Amino acid sequence: MSEFPQNIDPAILRGLLSPRISRRHVLQAGAVAGAASVLLPSVAEAATGDAGWWAGKSKTGVLNFANWPYYIDSYNGRHPSLDNLKTTKGITTTYSEVIEDNPTFYQQIRPSLQNGDSIGYDIIVMTDNAIGLRYLLNGNYLIPLDDAALVNFKKNASASAKAVYANSGKRLIPWQSGMTSLAYNSTKVSTNTKSLKMAFDTSSSNVAKLRNRVGMLSDPIELGNIALLALGKNPATSKPADWQLAATKLRQQRDSGLVKAYYGNDIINELKQGNLWVGQVYSGDVFQARIGGNKNLKLMNPTEGVLLWTDNMCIPKGAAHPRDAMMAIDYFYDTSVAAVLAYYINYITPVPGAKAKLTAPTKGWQATTMTNLKKDIGVAASLITAAPEVFPTSAYKLKNYYAFKTQGEIDTWNEKFAGIPTGS
Amino acid sequence: MEREVRWYSYRFVSRFSPRRRGISRLAPYLLGLPAFVWLGVFFLVPLGLMLVKTLQECNPATGACVMTWHWASLSDAWANSSTIIFRSLTYALIATLIDLVLSFPIAYWIAFYAGRRKNFFLIMLLVPFFVSFVIRTVIWKFLLSSDGLVVHALQALHLVSADYQILGTTGAVIAGLAYNFLPFTALPLYVSLERLNPALLEASQDLYAGRITTFRKVVLPLCAPGIFAAFLLTFIPAFGDYINQQVLGGFANTMVGTVIQNLFLVNNDFSAGSALSVIVMGISLVGIVIYGRLLGSKSIGDFV
Repeated sequence: MSEFPQNIDPAILRGLLSPRISRRHVLQAGAVAGAASVLLPSVAEAATGDAGWWAGKSKTGVLNFANWPYYIDSYNGRHPSLDNLKTTKGITTTYSEVIEDNPTFYQQIRPSLQNGDSIGYDIIVMTDNAIGLRYLLNGNYLIPLDDAALVNFKKNASASAKAVYANSGKRLIPWQSGMTSLAYNSTKVSTNTKSLKMAFDTSSSNVAKLRNRVGMLSDPIELGNIALLALGKNPATSKPADWQLAATKLRQQRDSGLVKAYYGNDIINELKQGNLWVGQVYSGDVFQARIGGNKNLKLMNPTEGVLLWTDNMCIPKGAAHPRDAMMAIDYFYDTSVAAVLAYYINYITPVPGAKAKLTAPTKGWQATTMTNLKKDIGVAASLITAAPEVFPTSAYKLKNYYAFKTQGEIDTWNEKFAGIPTGS
Repeated sequence: MEREVRWYSYRFVSRFSPRRRGISRLAPYLLGLPAFVWLGVFFLVPLGLMLVKTLQECNPATGACVMTWHWASLSDAWANSSTIIFRSLTYALIATLIDLVLSFPIAYWIAFYAGRRKNFFLIMLLVPFFVSFVIRTVIWKFLLSSDGLVVHALQALHLVSADYQILGTTGAVIAGLAYNFLPFTALPLYVSLERLNPALLEASQDLYAGRITTFRKVVLPLCAPGIFAAFLLTFIPAFGDYINQQVLGGFANTMVGTVIQNLFLVNNDFSAGSALSVIVMGISLVGIVIYGRLLGSKSIGDFV
């Protein structure tokens, strides 16, 4: 640095740092852009998602599917249900486990969608309570699905799955649903615990028992809604005043010393490794941990109810293979395929008919696949059908998340809950 | 000494050479052009854009921003996060000091005693860092978990109670930072120690300086540029790091990187996220300048 010459010409530096564009250049650039924009919408086209638009879309034999990790059947490094999609429908799927959480994935795809580009995926899976999915719907970035192509769906979908489709303006179709509740280690915590209050009880006796052993999810949506439930409120009909109470409750819980930390999907490992004794979890993870050998890990069925969420398939605008995506979406609603998925994924299937197919699989592809999968999973299908986490009984009081109506509500919610996991 | 000679020869050429005029005069700038462009495009422009975004108000759904000259985002960000910023500075400082203390003997030994195997030991120092940063940290998580090696060993020795935990503590975060940034300290130290002429150490001893005095009066001053570089290269990334805190820490030891990440990704609050980033950048830059004036060496460029 000391060798740096002293007699540098300031003009050189200026030239390097700020390329001067003359006003004339700017005007010319603007004129070109203007001309191009006149050329663009020349012919009146069928609006995206209309029957006319879909009529022009044909199968390409290729599908790019973006999903969450461990969210599809796997055997020997392959996905039998996708192999069967190739066999029966002639569609080769590139399956990418790229969605780790909703907010990050939304931020990743947003710029391409706004530019009107393809995001590279024909099907993406996003959670109904995610703000990102709300933005995608409001911004009209999802293609209304081809109603005529939904044959299996109309025949086999549960009433709630059909409601999701109808209420989203035909843009969403459930992949799987799940519950958010507490899980607890039954060797450390009484198995008679039936209330979410256990994780929020800041009395000195409870804190002495559970100090640093409670884990919560860092997602403000999950955090706020379960606190509302613990307060005895129905999250779906809660008011900002309730949110304030819930936020106060969460801060008390945190500052009392109960909470060890706030986690993402990895919270299940903390419970398995014994770092946590009580944790806010997704139902399927607990079931899988239990059949995987962690017999002491139990999902609580709290008197206050459990939160029900649904991960939905949707086709983003600009998708290169919409017809293939459409065929695949309907294919997943075949009862045999849904049974294979349910057997492996252990979340809640949107196909009630899958239950019968689990214990009495159709001969051929489904039966072979179930036999293969069983080698890995090691659990009889009857155990899955009997699991309340996978096929919830009426003993579970399913509650919906609060559905945001305005950006103002989202801001208020974040103001109240987003700072809690970072200690503010 | 060698450097001094180079410096004079440069001055000699530039002052008295008849070729001073014309293209040769511009040569240094032309050669530096790629670096200037790089700095401009990948540092100054993004920095400027970040400052602009700070003063804008953004639509969380679309990310579209409108300039409102909202200077208050800076003061808001400071008010909301000053505690966390000070905490991050403290953690980074402690981790850096730990690294300096740990890696000085390592670098010293390799520089003076490793002989022909210098390269082998340098590679050994770096091998763990061929693994991705996040994966290394996650492996630490397994080691430090309640069911892990460290806690079990401590419990077996009855050094800690049955429900003792390391994960989630400030100690775990600082240990993670110190571990992950160790090579950034060790390598500059090694470079400066390696350049040290052993004859100077002998001379010092010939002049009746003890080992400690030699270290204090000869070794330390001569490798001051290395220490300076090591400190900066460790402290700055450790200050902004969020992986260690998220993997090994809890809510009570949140660092500023985590808050920035949440502002951008969870809250979709681009303006607040940018404001906090600007503050962190500002603190880093001002800190570097002050630090450089107080302790810095002119030959920092040899190491960084």
